[in-house]
Amino acid sequence: MSNISSNRWLLDRRMMLRGIGATLALPMLDAMRPLLAASSSASNFPVRLAMLYMPNGVRENRWTPDGSGSRFKLSPILSPLEAHRDDLLILTGLQNKASFSGDGHYVKTGGWLTGTTISKTTGSDINAGGMSMDQIAANQIGRTTKIPSLELGTEPVATGIDTNVNYTRLYASHISWKTPTVPLPCENNPRVAFDRLFRTRSNSGEKQAADQQSVLDLVRDDARRLQSKLGQDDRQKLDQYLESIREVERRIEQEANSLGAGENLAPEIAASMDALDKRISSAMGKASREEELSALPRFNHAEHSRIMLDLMVLALWSDTTRVSTFMFGNDVTNRNFSFIDGVNGGHHSISHHQNIPGQLDQYEKINTWHAQQYAYMLGQMKAIKEGDGTLLDHSMVAFGSPIRDGNSHNPRNVPIVVAGNANGQIRTGRHLEFDSGTPLCSLWISMLEKAGVKTPKLADADSGLRGV
Amino acid sequence: MLLFHSISAAFLACASLAAADDFRRNASPLLQKFCYECHDQDRQKGGVEVHHLTDTDSALSHHRFLENIAHQVESGDMPPEDDVDVLPTPAERSQLVHEIQAVLRKLKSGDFPRNPGRTTIRRLNRNEYNYTIRDLFGVNFQAGREFPADGAGGEGFDNVGDSLFIPPILMEKYFEASRKVIESIYATPATLNRALVSKPGKSLTPNAAARNTLNYHASLAFRRRVTDSDLAAMLKLFDSNLAAGKSYEDSIRAPLQALLLHPAFLFRIENDVPGQSEWRISEFELATRLSYFLWSSMPDRRLFKLADEGKLSTPAILAAEVDRLLADPRSEAISRHFAGQWLGFEELREVAEPDATRFPTFTPTLRSAMYLESVAFFNHIIRDNRPVTDLIQSDYTFVNAELAKHYNFPAVQGSQLQKIQLKDPNRGGIIGHASILTSTSVPLRTSPVKRGKWILDTLLGTPPPPPPPDAGELPADDQSAAGLSFREQLELHRQKPSCAGCHEKIDPLGFGLENFDAIGRWRDTDANGKPVDSLAVLPGDISFSSPAELKALLLSADELFLRNLVRKMLGYSLGRPLEYYDEPVISELVDELRANQLQIRPLIHAIIRSAPFQNRSKTR
Repeated sequence: MSNISSNRWLLDRRMMLRGIGATLALPMLDAMRPLLAASSSASNFPVRLAMLYMPNGVRENRWTPDGSGSRFKLSPILSPLEAHRDDLLILTGLQNKASFSGDGHYVKTGGWLTGTTISKTTGSDINAGGMSMDQIAANQIGRTTKIPSLELGTEPVATGIDTNVNYTRLYASHISWKTPTVPLPCENNPRVAFDRLFRTRSNSGEKQAADQQSVLDLVRDDARRLQSKLGQDDRQKLDQYLESIREVERRIEQEANSLGAGENLAPEIAASMDALDKRISSAMGKASREEELSALPRFNHAEHSRIMLDLMVLALWSDTTRVSTFMFGNDVTNRNFSFIDGVNGGHHSISHHQNIPGQLDQYEKINTWHAQQYAYMLGQMKAIKEGDGTLLDHSMVAFGSPIRDGNSHNPRNVPIVVAGNANGQIRTGRHLEFDSGTPLCSLWISMLEKAGVKTPKLADADSGLRGV
Repeated sequence: MLLFHSISAAFLACASLAAADDFRRNASPLLQKFCYECHDQDRQKGGVEVHHLTDTDSALSHHRFLENIAHQVESGDMPPEDDVDVLPTPAERSQLVHEIQAVLRKLKSGDFPRNPGRTTIRRLNRNEYNYTIRDLFGVNFQAGREFPADGAGGEGFDNVGDSLFIPPILMEKYFEASRKVIESIYATPATLNRALVSKPGKSLTPNAAARNTLNYHASLAFRRRVTDSDLAAMLKLFDSNLAAGKSYEDSIRAPLQALLLHPAFLFRIENDVPGQSEWRISEFELATRLSYFLWSSMPDRRLFKLADEGKLSTPAILAAEVDRLLADPRSEAISRHFAGQWLGFEELREVAEPDATRFPTFTPTLRSAMYLESVAFFNHIIRDNRPVTDLIQSDYTFVNAELAKHYNFPAVQGSQLQKIQLKDPNRGGIIGHASILTSTSVPLRTSPVKRGKWILDTLLGTPPPPPPPDAGELPADDQSAAGLSFREQLELHRQKPSCAGCHEKIDPLGFGLENFDAIGRWRDTDANGKPVDSLAVLPGDISFSSPAELKALLLSADELFLRNLVRKMLGYSLGRPLEYYDEPVISELVDELRANQLQIRPLIHAIIRSAPFQNRSKTR
């Protein structure tokens, strides 16, 4: 990246510093491309990875497209994706075998991206059994961005214990596992997420950073000293503490680098940020930014979801991060979907449809609504030009649920679709059918590989998917 | 005395080993033969697994389902005739039940080596962080408002060490918050002056002054006397800042900020005692357990002073301090965070989502008033040392103008809540609070099932098993132009044999509350204009037809409720999951409640006096 710092004359500085986002990590700017090292043009754009989680499964016979290969007809639920048909890879027949036992929800969601079985606990030994694939990616391709990964959602962490099945509800609210024992919470307040990602954090220069570094040095050394006196479980907590201190240091370093590099920010990204900033305020309807920061985000669910997805797009576009997850809701969410015409009631209730036609229709409408939001995000990504292609061309955006039918909690043949071709590495516009029982983790391995992360084995899979 | 103690401990250990053989010999093979098919590690039908019940010790540690298993086997409900090739003989049944009963008796009497337990070091949760910062520096802003919410563990609370993580995003926010707190202290000369308790002068070097100041704040922040080695790194940083030409004030700034990011501040650390298997926690550790239990915040100056003098653990002093802390407004934290999470009115603030079109009067201010009613109510029980059964039935509650109108009570002025007398016995108790009635409803209608489950699970601690996956749900809406009433649909639904067994115990409890609509208003007619049918019959021909009668029924058999309340409060106070060795403590605490006319304060005192609260063990 050092080559960029000497070329800041290319960009209009006043434009850069206008409004927010002055310390944004270096985006891949079209304006800079001629000056980048003379490698092939496609490789100048990093591959981005996004995983979108939909709770409570789908109406099972309305998800799978008719026909296979490139000759397929989108199913009713996926019909909102018609405009993006050629960017899609729809996969049928995948499953996470490790999620079959246990209960109908927590095991499925907790293990969606890990391919493992979560430990059955009300809280004393929370353990996903493995790292999630987004975090495997973040460990490698997230090292050079401002934050290694971004976790977004729309609902607060579910509290309490589900005494019916004896799992802590914490499992329903987390799909990202930094380690098997450290779940990463989703940010659901768009204002907090926006400010964390894009707002100038500090107005002072390097002196401040040196001061802050000394604070971190101090607590790190003291934590090590304290740690030696503790028992095993307690020591683990301080391990987490130390790891998180390292992450904060890394972030400060990245920010200092981008400051040193001239605070570059493409005008179109700055404009996009400004617009999103205003949109968040208008959606939240609070009197001040301060109120927005402390508010429980409780507004129009569609607008909330779209704002979170736009935040994700902006973070990926600006290269603030290359890895992100989004939960449309916590598992078992009973969010009221009566805002959709023809739907009357909560999501989880409706997902237990008992095969009653009227209930199934409502269930399908909720599923389709989710596909619409996904389509919206893909549209946004396609509208962003990067080189000869679009942001979507340089990404993989997966969308799915860890159960198929919500009524029976069926974990076989999970609904999953991937969009984007990862810099031309995936031949999209296809519906691929696999032998039933093919590990979902094989897809994760394939996606990781295309993101430049070699993973020979993941849970029950030891190779990628054929033909992907 | 000591000798006697160790002999009896050895004897008990032997007794437990001998009994272990009994369970292993007589019960385990039967479980394996008749139950594993559906209840082993892989299947766990109904959320129940029995494969780990291999001997007395393991039966003790997995005791939660024992009573239920014995009951099911005794009544003949398990194993189900259709699912097994051979049914157990009557002799086999009684043999299994006998062994389980023996373990259950052991649990109640505490006839095994006792253990005070071990709490994993607890990170301050979001609320505790806010309150602690407030009390540490008198900084009046919600420093932790942007923190991610904390998940629950143990008995269902967000103060359990095991389930409090410290992911990078939280550390980022701690870091940011520490900067803001320091900024606000340095913002005005007055606040800075107050914070810098010692300043260099004629006879005081800057280093000595810094030592004084840091010693003071670090002791408060770490909730104990700090040592030289605790201060070494901070003083070193101060010195190097000073050597770089900074002023005293600027040199001490980074060390002060470091305090707020320090593991000894963010975690409530309790030290092990080398060479011992269990020990009394230190005076400072006791002060900290006490203040976070009752205030969700750090100890105040007086608690620190008593701890420092070694007096806090003296029973009379400790009792006086408990009363003092309870009299302090900060004790409202118990109502908000203990009762709010246990009873579920916290959920009303964040999750409950009545349909805005169907229930236009459910405004944000009404939501807030509903929540505050429950907080004020629980708070009153503590303040006035009321019997805990007020939670089930009371002749008072707290309302403001909007909530009084909502309940159709005589008008009350203003937005502040005030205590009122209730004439209607249907409304009293937390069961009649709109907060609970709303959070146990679904967006468009009431849910007798959810309300029944709330009584069984939340109030009585006897959760029903999960529905079979394909059980299905009722229509999301109860408004239908013709046909069956909602209750008729529910009755029809539960005629399925796989449902009836549980629902005949769950639903009637909810039927008894059908006069309360989905946002807690009284109603005589249902959504379709038909009269509300609240007649309910529980198995055993126990019938009732109004909330008042349901509550009278609950009060007539209060053991489950008391035991559950005690379990929840003990779990909250310890911040760890309760284990089998806590069961005898629970029994003793229930006795204590009964001996004191069920008043809540003696229970709080007894919890604080209890062995698990005052001791710590090397092992879990």
